[in-house]
Amino acid sequence: MTPRDVAVVAFARSDHHGGADGASEPELLLPVLHDALSQAGLAPGEADFTCSGSSDYLAGRPFSFTLTLDSVGAWPPVAESHVETDGAWALYEAWVKILTGRADTALVYAHGKPTTGDLADVLTRQLDPYYLAPLWPDPYALAALQARALIDAGHLDEPPPAEAHAVLPLRAADFPAPVDGAAAVVLAAGDTARRMCDRPAWIRGIDHRIEPQAPGLRDLTDSPSTRLAAERAGAFRAPVDTAELHAPCTAQEVVLRRALRLDRTVTVNPSGGALAADPVMTTGLVRLGEAAARIHRGASGRALAHATSGPCLQHNLVAVLEGEDR
Amino acid sequence: MPEILTAPLTVSFPFTRSLGPVQSAFLTGLRERTVLGVRTTDGRILVPPAEYDPVTAEELRDLAEVAPTGTVTTWAWNPAPRDNQPLRTPFAWVLVRLDGADTALLHVLDAPGPHAVRTGMRVRIRWAPERTGAITDIGCFEPYEGEEHGGPAAPHDGAFDDPVTGIVTPARLDYTYTPGRALSRHLAALAEHRITGERCPSCRKVHVPPRGVCPTCGVPTTEQTEVGPHGTVTTFCVVNIKARSADIDVPYVYAHIALDGADLALHARIGGIPYDEVRMGMRVAPVWTGDARHPDHFRPTGEPDADYDTYKELL
Repeated sequence: MTPRDVAVVAFARSDHHGGADGASEPELLLPVLHDALSQAGLAPGEADFTCSGSSDYLAGRPFSFTLTLDSVGAWPPVAESHVETDGAWALYEAWVKILTGRADTALVYAHGKPTTGDLADVLTRQLDPYYLAPLWPDPYALAALQARALIDAGHLDEPPPAEAHAVLPLRAADFPAPVDGAAAVVLAAGDTARRMCDRPAWIRGIDHRIEPQAPGLRDLTDSPSTRLAAERAGAFRAPVDTAELHAPCTAQEVVLRRALRLDRTVTVNPSGGALAADPVMTTGLVRLGEAAARIHRGASGRALAHATSGPCLQHNLVAVLEGEDR
Repeated sequence: MPEILTAPLTVSFPFTRSLGPVQSAFLTGLRERTVLGVRTTDGRILVPPAEYDPVTAEELRDLAEVAPTGTVTTWAWNPAPRDNQPLRTPFAWVLVRLDGADTALLHVLDAPGPHAVRTGMRVRIRWAPERTGAITDIGCFEPYEGEEHGGPAAPHDGAFDDPVTGIVTPARLDYTYTPGRALSRHLAALAEHRITGERCPSCRKVHVPPRGVCPTCGVPTTEQTEVGPHGTVTTFCVVNIKARSADIDVPYVYAHIALDGADLALHARIGGIPYDEVRMGMRVAPVWTGDARHPDHFRPTGEPDADYDTYKELL
């Protein structure tokens, strides 16, 4: 069997400036889903497969994603799945579903309302429960340990001493402010994709790899999992012109640029990247969507999109997207 | 438009985990002021120890004791400690490679300021006065003027009296919950003793309680409409087990109720009638007690029972 061609044919995201303005998760999602579905010419409930990404720890309630199914027109029942992480991994599952011939179209969405709780506390709960979580090391602390390692290795400059620091050596400006948000993508196979979109963003490969849980087992100045995922996704077979990187800290972008061998010919984060807006659990899917949208607009021919999960870039996904000149 | 409702929401849980043999030996060792590592297949000593080799995934059981002194491999200064973190005063997060170990342990360092911390500095463990067999048995690290202890880690059988077999990590997360715009509208009306639903512009069904979207059509509902207050019991159950938090005597009846004008049944307790006299089709009305924001229960109205055909679609 020859692999099927699968493309991102539509992308939408919520206004990335702030809070949900009193909206529930379904209310936050609804306009975004309608935008993406109408770009693809699909009615609610019409996609062959639906997959979402979100986290109950952000919402503070169990099975929080089930409420969002109201927004997709899930009755009569639709084929549906959910991943308890960033929506980029929901896109991966939907891509596999289409590759195996079980669907021709898929709706992928993600949502997160990090302003509902205290993100620094919430993200400590994803850590090793034996050796790390009892110490409550927040993501800013862990990112700062990584930044110090980068400074010591000569990959990052020592910060000016007079500036206000969040967790030294990092400043508050090195981290994005968490915002509430939602995003949606439509995937389609072959001729269906060509019918839905003038210039589909063909997925040439996706892979994701993870590093050991213990930060002390890792070389924090490098990201071998990103490099391996990029290799497996075919990123190094030809140069890319665009890269959307999910680095929720300035120092982590340095790690990713090195791991992915991005030089000056590559436009990095034309969307502003994760530093411009970090709707947690949505940020990675937005990177894939923004890279695809750039191809849709004809502004990119071959783009790399990256998503991450866990502390200090622990788990990394890389996708390679291409436009086709007809 | 009524204001958006919010309420504090606290999720707290004792995170209870059992330990594998290596983790058990390590945490019991900390209780006894002994730091154990584990030897990997390629001969490295991992501290903290893992149950499985991070490279080959082989089972690891070969324990060895390392020193309570070590070297900082990277650090970050935390000027504003959070409630649950190990020290109350500003401190450094550190990765420390203990003498005899090949990998570093995450913990905190008690130091007067960032000027007193550097990569490569020597530190030693300050033990917590009361130890239970947890990573917090290491109270923190403190600066230490002393050379690295030479020599390899000494083999250790990991056997201690009364080994720790599990940990309990209490966790508490605080949120500000909002039910969203549509439910805020609904709850505001309930406080005024009105029950409102929202109509789908596509299928025309009225959803109660409304969530701002029609789950069948996947489109926003915006047209509000008052429903009830009378309704019909479509189906019910008799509850015989008392919920720990509920201040209601058992047995009692919990029912699905189709309010007049609604296309979705809601559920509520039935009161004002013996539990064994409740029946499908019974007509009921909401009862607000005191200054409650929502009905306490539904009571029989005394109207003739509704015909099955009038509510069978809502079962």
